[in-house]
Amino acid sequence: MKTKILLDEEQMPKKWYNIQADLPSPLDPPLHPATHKPVGPDDLKAIFPMELIRQEVTTDRHIDIPEEVQDVLHLWRPSPLYRAHRLEKFLKTPAKIYYKWEGVSPAGSHKTNTSIPQAYYNMKAGIERIATETGAGQWGSALAFATMLYDLQCTIYMVRSSYAQKPYRKSMMQVWGAECIPSPSTKTNSGRAVLEKDPETPGALGIAISEAVEDAATHDNTNYALGSVLNHVCLHQTVIGLECREQLAMVDAYPDIVIGCVGGGSNFAGISFPFAGDKMTGKHKDVDLIGVEPASCPTLTKGLYTYDFGDVAGLTPLMKMFTLGHDFVPPSIHAGGLRYHGDSPIVSRLVHDGVMRAVSYHQSEVFEAAQTFARTEGIIVAPETSHAVRCAIDEALLCKKTGEEKTILFNCSGHGNFDMSAYDAYYAGKLVDYEYPDELIKQAISRIPKIT
Amino acid sequence: MYRIGFVVNPVAGMGGAVGLKGTDGRVGEARSLGATPQSGNRAKMTLSLLKKDPDLLFLTCSGNMGETILKEAGIPGYQVVFTGKSESSADDTKAAVQEFLNEGVDLILFCGGDGTARDVFSVTGRNIPILGIPAGVKMYSGVFAITPGAAAEMVAGSDKTILRDAEIMDVDEEAYRSGILTTRLFGVASVPVIAGMVQVPKQVFEETDEERAKDEIARFIHEVMVPDTLYILGAGTTTEAIARNLGIPKTLLGVDVIKNGRIVTQDANEKTLCNLVENEEDIRIIISPIGAQGFILGRGNQQVSAAIVRRAGIRNIIVVATPHKLQETPELLVDTGDSELDLEFGSSIQVISGYRIAQHKRIRQMS
Repeated sequence: MKTKILLDEEQMPKKWYNIQADLPSPLDPPLHPATHKPVGPDDLKAIFPMELIRQEVTTDRHIDIPEEVQDVLHLWRPSPLYRAHRLEKFLKTPAKIYYKWEGVSPAGSHKTNTSIPQAYYNMKAGIERIATETGAGQWGSALAFATMLYDLQCTIYMVRSSYAQKPYRKSMMQVWGAECIPSPSTKTNSGRAVLEKDPETPGALGIAISEAVEDAATHDNTNYALGSVLNHVCLHQTVIGLECREQLAMVDAYPDIVIGCVGGGSNFAGISFPFAGDKMTGKHKDVDLIGVEPASCPTLTKGLYTYDFGDVAGLTPLMKMFTLGHDFVPPSIHAGGLRYHGDSPIVSRLVHDGVMRAVSYHQSEVFEAAQTFARTEGIIVAPETSHAVRCAIDEALLCKKTGEEKTILFNCSGHGNFDMSAYDAYYAGKLVDYEYPDELIKQAISRIPKIT
Repeated sequence: MYRIGFVVNPVAGMGGAVGLKGTDGRVGEARSLGATPQSGNRAKMTLSLLKKDPDLLFLTCSGNMGETILKEAGIPGYQVVFTGKSESSADDTKAAVQEFLNEGVDLILFCGGDGTARDVFSVTGRNIPILGIPAGVKMYSGVFAITPGAAAEMVAGSDKTILRDAEIMDVDEEAYRSGILTTRLFGVASVPVIAGMVQVPKQVFEETDEERAKDEIARFIHEVMVPDTLYILGAGTTTEAIARNLGIPKTLLGVDVIKNGRIVTQDANEKTLCNLVENEEDIRIIISPIGAQGFILGRGNQQVSAAIVRRAGIRNIIVVATPHKLQETPELLVDTGDSELDLEFGSSIQVISGYRIAQHKRIRQMS
């Protein structure tokens, strides 16, 4: 029985899979924040290179991965697919658990799958500098690595609570030559506005996005890059699922369940979209696709499916997505990368249409699962990833009850080597199980008179 | 033979159910409001669990300061070593404890509240261990077992366990009645310990970020308040912040009632609350755990009785607490006096701890 299922370098996908081609109807268009009219390519030109704008809206099923990008991806791709024999044995489950290990990238997570092409297209467009935000620091470090390869300057607004919790992520960005600023900062109007209102704020991804977008929009040589949510980001991550499908085929398997954690949705999109495509086109109608969220920020499970801003200041286009409200500042959980009020419009749409589903967990539950995983498979996963681990374990335990031999695949999206303070908090019994008081909010909303 | 000095403050706790926030100097008033003595019954619950232990010898006071209760609980061997002059005198309690010391007891077991703890400790100091059976209105001191049953377990196991320090807190009862919660450290007593069974001294958090957290909680509660619903606001500084956010005053230590943003009644006792909820369709109870002990019902909010909770429904209880307070409170405790109702709370509860933020906390039933 194989433990690692490996592809050769030349077997790495040469094209990304664009799920927009297989949606039964087109996505609701993003709307201009001021006019509420659909945004056109010109509206986005100020902060994105044209090729990424094209990828954002195209309905072509396959999009070529430039050779220069493939060359860089070969540093760690194809990434290994593991069969979790030891975890299965520990759980005494008849289920077969597979995990795609994305922690082998230089930055330690899946984020480099999109930071490389994004930096590449910006370099091609003659851009000199990129501004971005980062939650836990995974995206910031991945973009710092990518911009260094293409000789671009990089400014990263890092959510303040993570900046304090994860100092080594900041050090990585420095090694790769990027500038890392805690957000909210005094460098931007949006940052100053938040600080004025609330000098002690822990910050949030939505605030950091406002700062980075403002930075890009006010500097001619600077573009903006986003590490999740947008269609082109999800597109770049599909290499994960495409490789998984090949690797599983090598052992004559196809997943019954595909799992990924969800913050902005790109890591879940990456592993699940190729399978969601199979589901929508009728090739594998029964595959169960599960996004896993923190109970403190349960966008897909407890949010509203509606148009909302992607950031706190309301600078981004309005997107149709599940949202907890763009002014919602989620509590400072250790899975900082999952603290986002909204979600990828495509993932939102697929959850809304029932192609995918979502579940949520408390912090202590996911760290317990992460410990089990570390003590069986060895890998100490990032707090974000531990959400996927929890769900995979629960699904495997369900199989133990029912006796079903399901094939479970999850995205083991990153390592937690810089998150040991979170594990320390778990062992000290200091993890707080935050949750979202949706019942109270719903009661209040239901009693608000409808304005017609 | 393990020698225990046993003394009961017969009037302890009487002020609680009638909204007096303490019984010191208010026994007559409590009686006229319909309060009945409770401490004897609480003490009897402890003693009845100890009646079969042949190694215990109780030394006690005459009448309802000890003897009557020992007799009713079926304790076979005890000695009356002190005869009190009146039923509510702190001097009597102190004199009895002094007599126990003269007799060379190993432990003093008392039943009462913070005032009683203070009286007992003022005589014993750290010389011998003391243990309180909770029966008072306020129990900020750490010398109380969590329940009468837990007190029995600790007595039975006390010669085998290590002693620990427990703070005796002094609550200014007159200030407390006028809405100012001032607790100060009165002394550090020695108590027998079985892990998890002694109340941690209550703490009132007044740091800057606590105030901020209270305001956030208040902002959220304000946002989710619905019209034509009766809101019962329990005691404490967090519920006070909620009232402040609504622009209405709040008695810090009493239970107030509001509806449609206006005060219905302030500082209500159990009877008033019962009358109020009788004709209401939608009722919410907003309460905060008391200090570091984590009691959401049963300590400090006694006016919100089991009957009121049943009328409102457990799902209509909104628990609020600042993150700091919750950090000091690994689990929340419920002791409504109605064990069936306590069980209906289940194993966990949601606690609002910020604006649109809640924490998932374990809950433990006391009975």
